[in-house]
Amino acid sequence: MLAALALTALTGCGGDEKSAAPVVLNAHEATLYRHSCSTCHEDPATGAPQTHDTEIWAPRIAKGDEQLLASIVDGFNGMPPLGQCIECTAEEFILLTHFMAAPASGETDE
Amino acid sequence: MKISRRNLLQYAANASALAATGAIPGALTRAFAEEPRRIIPWKNWSGGQSCTPAIRTAPASETELADIVGRSATPIRAVGAGHSFSPLVPTEGTLLSLDRLSGIVSHDTATHRATFRAGTRLGAMAAALAERDLALDNMPDIDKQTIAGAIATATHGTGIELGSLSTFVTDLKLMTASGELVACGETTNSALFDAARVSLGALGIVTEVTMQARPLYKLKRRTWIAPVEEMLERAPELWTAHRNFEFYYVPYSGLAIGITNDETDEAETPEPVNEDDDGLMQLKQLQDWLGWSPSARRWVIQTIMGGMDPEERVDYSHKTLSAERNVRFNEMEYHLPREAGPQALREIIAAIENGNMEVFFPIEFRTTAPDDIWLSPFYRRDSCSIAVHRFHEADYGPYFSAIEPIFRKHDGRPHWGKLNTLAAADFAALYPKWNDFLEIRTELDPEGRFLNPYLRSVFGVGA
Repeated sequence: MLAALALTALTGCGGDEKSAAPVVLNAHEATLYRHSCSTCHEDPATGAPQTHDTEIWAPRIAKGDEQLLASIVDGFNGMPPLGQCIECTAEEFILLTHFMAAPASGETDE
Repeated sequence: MKISRRNLLQYAANASALAATGAIPGALTRAFAEEPRRIIPWKNWSGGQSCTPAIRTAPASETELADIVGRSATPIRAVGAGHSFSPLVPTEGTLLSLDRLSGIVSHDTATHRATFRAGTRLGAMAAALAERDLALDNMPDIDKQTIAGAIATATHGTGIELGSLSTFVTDLKLMTASGELVACGETTNSALFDAARVSLGALGIVTEVTMQARPLYKLKRRTWIAPVEEMLERAPELWTAHRNFEFYYVPYSGLAIGITNDETDEAETPEPVNEDDDGLMQLKQLQDWLGWSPSARRWVIQTIMGGMDPEERVDYSHKTLSAERNVRFNEMEYHLPREAGPQALREIIAAIENGNMEVFFPIEFRTTAPDDIWLSPFYRRDSCSIAVHRFHEADYGPYFSAIEPIFRKHDGRPHWGKLNTLAAADFAALYPKWNDFLEIRTELDPEGRFLNPYLRSVFGVGA
C-alpha cells in the first residue's frame, strides 16, 4: 500500500511530456530550489546542466524518474548525493528536476 | 531505489521512532505528512557515509529549532554541506539542516565583524562580506561548507600566521539539549567559547556565528612546478616568505605544484578556466593505462608537466583561495608538528611508490597557525597538514591504512572531518584540554542527545 502510494506520487510528478511546459514551483519548493539546486545549476562554472536549458536536460529526463531519483540520491559526476538538499523528499527531488529541465516561466515565485 | 520490503520495514521503524517523540513539533509538519513519504537515505558528499534518519528537517527559526531539539528523535545531528568524511553526521534519529537558518544578520563597519546564521555556506558568506568591502583573513580550499560545519571541525586554509576558520569566530550562539539558547564569546562564557569553537556538533546546535573580518583585499596567486625534493627543501623558506603557501605532490611524477598567495594592489586578471578536474581525470587515466609501469607513468607525467609555465592570477582573496572541486573523493588528513612535515611527506611518497600503490590524487601540504581552542588540532602547535585522497568509487582502506601509521608516528592529530581510526584514549592523549571539553559536554547534554554512535566512541560515552 505504501509502495503504491509513493509510486503514484512519483508518477504524478514525472513524465517526458511534463518537461515541455514550464513547471511552476510553490513557495516551499522555490525555497528548496534556491537553497540547494541553484547554487550549481545557475553557475556554469560548475559544469552542471543549467536550469531551463531544455536541450541539455532532454537526454537526462528521457532516462525516467526512477533513474533520475537514483542519480540524485547517489550523486552523479560532480553532483553530491541528494544535491545538497537535506530536507527534500523524493517527490520534491523529481519535481525540482523537471522544473530545471523545463522552459522558464514568469509565474514562478522564486 | 526500488521500493522494497526493507524500505517498508524501515518506514515502520521510523514511524515508531516518531511516535515515541510525543506531540509533533510545528517544524516537523512536513516530516510527519499524513501521506507516507518514500524513504530515501542521506549520504555525504563522497557517498562514503550514509544513514536513514527517522526525520530530515530544516528549521526556519530558532523557535522551530528549539521544538526539534526538545522533542525529536535522537540522536539529533546537524548536517551542513556533508563534506565530512568521518561519520560525524549519520543518525537514525533526526538529521537537521540549517539551510533555512542562513544569511547575514548584521555587520559592524568599525570592528569589521559580521554575524551570520550558522547555515550560511562559506562561499555565500565570502560574497556577503565582499559586498560590504570585507573579507576573511583566510579561506579553505573549497567554500561549499556551512559556517557551522566548518568551525565544528576546525576547517582551515594555509598560512603560518593564519589560524583555522574557528579562530576567526568572536561570538556564537548555541542551542543546548534543553532548548536553551546560550551565547558565548571572547568576553562572555569564555570556557564554553573555547569548547564550542571546535565542538563536532556535540555541545548543541550553533545558530549564529560572528566572524572577525578585515577590509577587502586582493591576492596575487602564483603557481609553478618544481622537483618535489626541491619543494620540500625550500618549504620552510616558502612558508615564511609568503602569506599563503601550499603544494601538491603528484604521485609517481617526482614533481610538485607550488602555490603562493601574497597581497597586492595590482589590477585583477581574467579568471582562468578551472582545469583541475580535467587534470585529475587525466591522472586517473594514466594510472589505469600505465599503473603497471611506474617508470613509464613518471616519464609521461614529467613530459606533460615539464612543459607547463608558471601562472599568475590577481583577484580578491576569496576567489584565489577557494576553488571548485567536482571530482569526488574520500580523504584522510593529519595535522603534524610543522617541522616534522617534510620528512613525513617523504615517507608517504616512499610508501606509495615503493609499494606501487594505486594512487593518482595529488597529496596536499599546507600550514596553519596555532590557537587556544580546546579541541582544535592546531591547539598550541605550529602545524602543517598533509592530506591524502582516494577517488570516491575506489576502496580507500588499503591506502589510508598504509599512510596513517606515518601520520601517527609523527604525532599527528587527525582533521575532525576526515577519515581516521583513532579512539577515545588516543584523542585524550593528543588533546591537553580533552577532559575539560568532556565536562562541558556532559553538563550541556547529559543524555547524549547529540551523540551518534561515532561520537560516543570518540568521547568514550556508553550507549
